[in-house]
Amino acid sequence: MNLVLIFRLADEWFGLKVDDIQEIVEAPELNYVPRAPESILGAMNFHGNVVPVLDLACYLGLGNQAYGERAVVLPIGQTVLAFGVTAIDRIVPFDSEMMLPCQQEEQKELHIGMLYNHEGQMVNMLDLPSLLGSLETI
Amino acid sequence: MRVEIAYKFIMGFIIVVGSIVVLDLVVPLLGVPEQMQQLVSLGGAILVGLILGSLFSKAFTGNIKVITGAAERISHGDLSQPIRLKASSFPDEMSDLAESLNKVNGNLRELVGKVRDASVRVSDSAQGLSATSEEMTASSHELSNTVEQISRGAEVQAETVEKASRLIKEFAINTELVASSSKKVSDAVNVTVQTAQGGGEKARHTMDRMMQLLQDVERSGEQVVNFGDQLGRIGKIVEVINGIAQKTNLLALNATIEAARAGEYGRGFAVVAEEIRKLADSTTGSADEITNLIAKVQDEGQNVEVSLRNNIAEMDEGRKALELTNQAFEEIIDTAVNTQVKSSSIAELSKKQIEGADKMVQAIENISQVVSDNAAATEEGSAATEELSAAMGEMAHSAQELASYAEALAENVKEFQFGGEEAS
Repeated sequence: MNLVLIFRLADEWFGLKVDDIQEIVEAPELNYVPRAPESILGAMNFHGNVVPVLDLACYLGLGNQAYGERAVVLPIGQTVLAFGVTAIDRIVPFDSEMMLPCQQEEQKELHIGMLYNHEGQMVNMLDLPSLLGSLETI
Repeated sequence: MRVEIAYKFIMGFIIVVGSIVVLDLVVPLLGVPEQMQQLVSLGGAILVGLILGSLFSKAFTGNIKVITGAAERISHGDLSQPIRLKASSFPDEMSDLAESLNKVNGNLRELVGKVRDASVRVSDSAQGLSATSEEMTASSHELSNTVEQISRGAEVQAETVEKASRLIKEFAINTELVASSSKKVSDAVNVTVQTAQGGGEKARHTMDRMMQLLQDVERSGEQVVNFGDQLGRIGKIVEVINGIAQKTNLLALNATIEAARAGEYGRGFAVVAEEIRKLADSTTGSADEITNLIAKVQDEGQNVEVSLRNNIAEMDEGRKALELTNQAFEEIIDTAVNTQVKSSSIAELSKKQIEGADKMVQAIENISQVVSDNAAATEEGSAATEELSAAMGEMAHSAQELASYAEALAENVKEFQFGGEEAS
């Protein structure tokens, strides 16, 4: 059974598969990272690992003041990264029949793979490989 | 030598008889013939008789003529000349008559002169009297006018005095009204003093109660503030609960993620995690409700506090107003006491005024009596003056008559002539 975490960036609803999430952290203590890009909020101590926190809303161009003291930590191993988001909504079961293809170029730039219709609420499903690939270039 | 006429006749007769005798004796001696002797003697005698007779009668008739002329003159009023008979060595009764006539003439002249003087004087006096009586008539007319004016003045005076009397009576009545009113005022002031004292007492009582109420309200305000503080504390607790619920929610999410990672083994755990999440959600909802309620209660509390403050301010105002009221009552009492004193003195004064007014009424009645007496006396005086005026008119008339009488008399007397003495 697949689960999706629904969270908010500024005024947009985004979704991420629970399989791609290590943990959700509340108000982490952020340490200043020197010479980091504007979208890096800082680094946090996650169970002994130093994990950089990316201001996802800022990175996706949705606004500078949208960080809501919540961080979604990606699984440690392949990447060491956490997304600072505006708010965590909930975890819902994933119904693949309610997935809608996304064809607009604009949404591609936002690293949105598909649109998920959750009980009438349109959720942008993050295309994590694309996003991480774009992050490699930073 | 005085010889009476009778004797003169006798003497003439004697002389004629004597001459006859003498002639009888003389003639023969003269050589007259005898036959002629008697004739000559008779002729001589007749001649003597004729001579004597003519002499005598001439003298007699001359005297009579003189006397007759004088009497005629006198009868015509000519008293200027006395009677002068021819000087005679033998005056007779004719001289006496002339003398008597002269006396009559003199007496008449004297009498006429006196009458003339008297008539002149009477005329003068009558004219003077007439003038005086005219003046007096004029004066009496003036007097009459003056008396009429006085009479009119007396009537006006009487009316004025009557009016004054009426006014003073009205004044006396008004003064009595003032006295009774001031008595009523005094009574009313007594009632006012009592009422004001009662009012002051009540105001003080109310003020005491108001102070108590004010203290109660202040205490209530403090209680409301304490209540607000406690509500704030509850709010903080609710915030803590809210934080715990969010953390629980997050934990539930992470538990769900862990359960999903555990696959089939984590399914039961996922259900528990879901239940925990739901509990956290409902906890958050309840905490939000509590927060809302607290906010509402705090708003209400603030409103209560504001209205309590307003109440306190209003009660303070009320207290001040009550103090002013109390003060006003005290002032009312003072004023009322003063008014009482003044009204009693007004009552006394108006009593005295009533006495004075009674005396004035009495005096005015006396004056009225005197004025009516004066009016009556003036009317009598007017009547008397009119009578006097009439009498003066009569008197003037009489004086004029007298003057005309005197003039007539003078006219009558003027017929008498005095000769050279007429000028006097």
